[in-house]
Amino acid sequence: MMRYKRFFLQLIIILLFIGLVGILINNLIINLIRTDLGFNFYWLLKPASFALSEHALPFSPSDSYAWALLIGWINSLKVILFSLIFSTILGIIIGLSRTSKNILIKKISSFYITFIRQTPLLLQLMFWYFVGFLGLKNKFINFSNILKINTQGIEFFGLSLTPEFSALFIGLSVFTSAFIGEVIRGGIISVEKGQWESFRSLGLSERDGLIKVIIPQALPAIIPGLTSQYLNLAKNSTLAIAIGYSDIYAINDTIINQTGRAIECFIILLLTFLILNLSITNLMEKINKLINKKQIYIN
Amino acid sequence: MNTIIKVKNISKSYSRGLLALDNVSLKVNQGKVLVIMGPSGSGKSTLIRTFNGLETFDAGEIEILGIKINQNYNERRIQKIRKRVGMVFQQFNLFPHLCILDNITLAPLNVQKRSRVEAEEYGMYLLSQMGISMHAEKYPSQLSGGEQQRVAIARTLALKPELLLFDEPTSALDPERINEVLDVMRKLAQDGMTMVVVTHEINFAKEVSDQILFMDSGKVIETSTPDIFFSNAKHERSRKFLNQLDK
Amino acid sequence: MYLKKINKNFKKFREILLLNSLNNFLTIILVFAIFITFLQTFNWLIVNSKWTAVTTNIPLFVFGTFPEDQRWRPFIWIMSLLTICFLSIVPPKWKWLRKNLLIAWIGMIPLGIFLLYGGFGIQTVMSRNFGGLTLTILLTVCSSMFALPIGIGLAFCRQSSLFVVKKLSSIYIDSMRAVPLIAVLFFGQLLIPLFLPLGLEIDSVWRAIFAFTLFVSAYIAEDIRGGLQAIPHTQIESAKSLGLNHLQIIRFILIPQSLRIALPALTNQVIGLFQNTSLMSILGLVELLGIGRSILANPKFIGQYIEVYIWLASVYWIICTLLALMAKYLEKRLKIA
Repeated sequence: MMRYKRFFLQLIIILLFIGLVGILINNLIINLIRTDLGFNFYWLLKPASFALSEHALPFSPSDSYAWALLIGWINSLKVILFSLIFSTILGIIIGLSRTSKNILIKKISSFYITFIRQTPLLLQLMFWYFVGFLGLKNKFINFSNILKINTQGIEFFGLSLTPEFSALFIGLSVFTSAFIGEVIRGGIISVEKGQWESFRSLGLSERDGLIKVIIPQALPAIIPGLTSQYLNLAKNSTLAIAIGYSDIYAINDTIINQTGRAIECFIILLLTFLILNLSITNLMEKINKLINKKQIYIN
Repeated sequence: MNTIIKVKNISKSYSRGLLALDNVSLKVNQGKVLVIMGPSGSGKSTLIRTFNGLETFDAGEIEILGIKINQNYNERRIQKIRKRVGMVFQQFNLFPHLCILDNITLAPLNVQKRSRVEAEEYGMYLLSQMGISMHAEKYPSQLSGGEQQRVAIARTLALKPELLLFDEPTSALDPERINEVLDVMRKLAQDGMTMVVVTHEINFAKEVSDQILFMDSGKVIETSTPDIFFSNAKHERSRKFLNQLDK
Repeated sequence: MYLKKINKNFKKFREILLLNSLNNFLTIILVFAIFITFLQTFNWLIVNSKWTAVTTNIPLFVFGTFPEDQRWRPFIWIMSLLTICFLSIVPPKWKWLRKNLLIAWIGMIPLGIFLLYGGFGIQTVMSRNFGGLTLTILLTVCSSMFALPIGIGLAFCRQSSLFVVKKLSSIYIDSMRAVPLIAVLFFGQLLIPLFLPLGLEIDSVWRAIFAFTLFVSAYIAEDIRGGLQAIPHTQIESAKSLGLNHLQIIRFILIPQSLRIALPALTNQVIGLFQNTSLMSILGLVELLGIGRSILANPKFIGQYIEVYIWLASVYWIICTLLALMAKYLEKRLKIA
């Protein structure tokens, strides 16, 4: 009796759901026919006929839309990877500063975290771009050709980065580092107080104790938080469009403006991000497993 | 005399083939107090929790206040039982987000659909009976363990139950707080409340109970009156258990 | 042997000294850096900064292009929001008001719609004239208040014993959390019209609110689920033994307790939402950041980037900090309860 009831309830829910989706798709088809667009992916092979200032692989306006999307993908991955590394380093410094004994360092880092977290990322990106790079007078910083920072972007050991990339990279890193700092601090706090006392009583220095005793125990608490911050970083990188960096979202946007293929582009975008999310999650899970394996040896 | 609880050959096994309850039968008449004793893990908590449907069982039959339940979970019947049977837990289990009076009136208002005035009046009366009416506006976390347990008893009494189940009501209390709760339970027994109590309090069992049921590894080892049980237990295992408790 | 011990002690001594001197060194450098920064900022504030872009446009920042003679309407709405915030944090003695706070909160949405859109005797205003802080607040308040019940519902669906319900809500929550917000907002602005039948149109403000609601409810659902999982099972048992039925347990025990546990996370969601409404400035609404951008595009205020950005950052910062403080206070009060 009960089981039949549950079965029918679920059947009704499925039917309702399918009905709703059906109505929406029906509307969509009517609208697509009306606007004479239809639904297909053949246009991907047509020439894009727009230029991209930032491309890791050769690109010209006569290349196809598909190629342009690939370039956008690479641009996205590039900025995500750079920011991921830099924000982690910065985040660790800030997280450790938050637990530092030096009151001044503690206060400064906590101010940094609250200030960064309480202002919109988009505003910060615009600040870095319009004030940080475009607002600079020429040759603002120049360390004997090793590091140059000016309106042309950053040049570091001959590796030159455009101002768009630099602003996005710095903005994302600074923003994410504040969150990573909190994750690190949370992880360190989660380690029992007795562990601090015991390594101190063994005569280990603060630094050795932190590295050899506290951090290994804090890692299991840190990794999940870190993963979600990396995912946020990847998602936030789509704000690139606000400062004219051609990432995957910006290129999709351009294509939609040119061709009107909103549905197809949206699907591409969703798939892109599902793949990106899955790969970051998988990678972090592997790291987590590795750490847990090591933990067993430690124990 | 009315029979309130009638348990016929119930058994319950855990996933690994361990028997939590092994062919248990018992009977409690109206106005009587049954104390269940036994070492930890003997199945006494499981047994008392089957009486109001918090635990299911695999075989046998239970009849509470004339309502029969068997191994097939029957929500409606269990609901009927729960409306007439009160339960007090080891960890008090008060609702931390509600003040004391709201804890007490929650069920009367929503289960029995009584009026707010009536429910609050009766709730205050119960609190004053327990000697804690001054705490009515406070929250559980502001009360001591003994006070919280008395609130928990008041909360079940607010439904005017016909049977009260106590699952180790004093085990989580500080030793000096235990008597506050036991006194309340003694008074309830004197007033003729039918009660089933899982406890390790020997003095309480001696004074108040009409019958003692001793369990070990899911089986009923013996059922005796307190006089016999504490002076001259029939069974070897009961005597061993009592010896250990004395130490 | 003895020498070794001396050596060891000496090493230790040196270590402590080095650590302390490093610490002192750092402190001195930091103090110096802070001093220089302050000096520079002070110098810039007095000598170089031009605040005309901000000072002459304050009403624009607050009300957008809302008709000048009608600005009292958003003003009243914002004031009543502030009042109700205050009443929620410092509850008055009157029990009837405390009991009706939830209704008052829900009432804020129709009140806001009435005051902003007009009609019923007051002049109607088109939604394209909404802007500035007013629009930012409208987007935040409406989206978060729609997203909360939906998020609670989704959290319970994800815990449901019905396979279909569980799967559908999991898919929704997980995929929503996998995509960037801007894609969802883009969906709201460009794609929703494609899914609607001919002739049915929703204005862009409501499409934005819809998209924000879709997005935030998935995040809220996960926070609430965390809260639900943190409720001890014994709470449900004791509610059951009191005879409460399934729905009553959800309503009286699970929802209030999970909300209480999830409060800090929920506050972060609201703060995040408030900041993220700025994304609409890329998608054609002129909320607070959008106003800033359009002012900066005006040749009259050319080059006042830093001033405008500092001003906007302080507005966001102050409001977010206030929200965070409010939540902290509320948390503290709920801790006893």
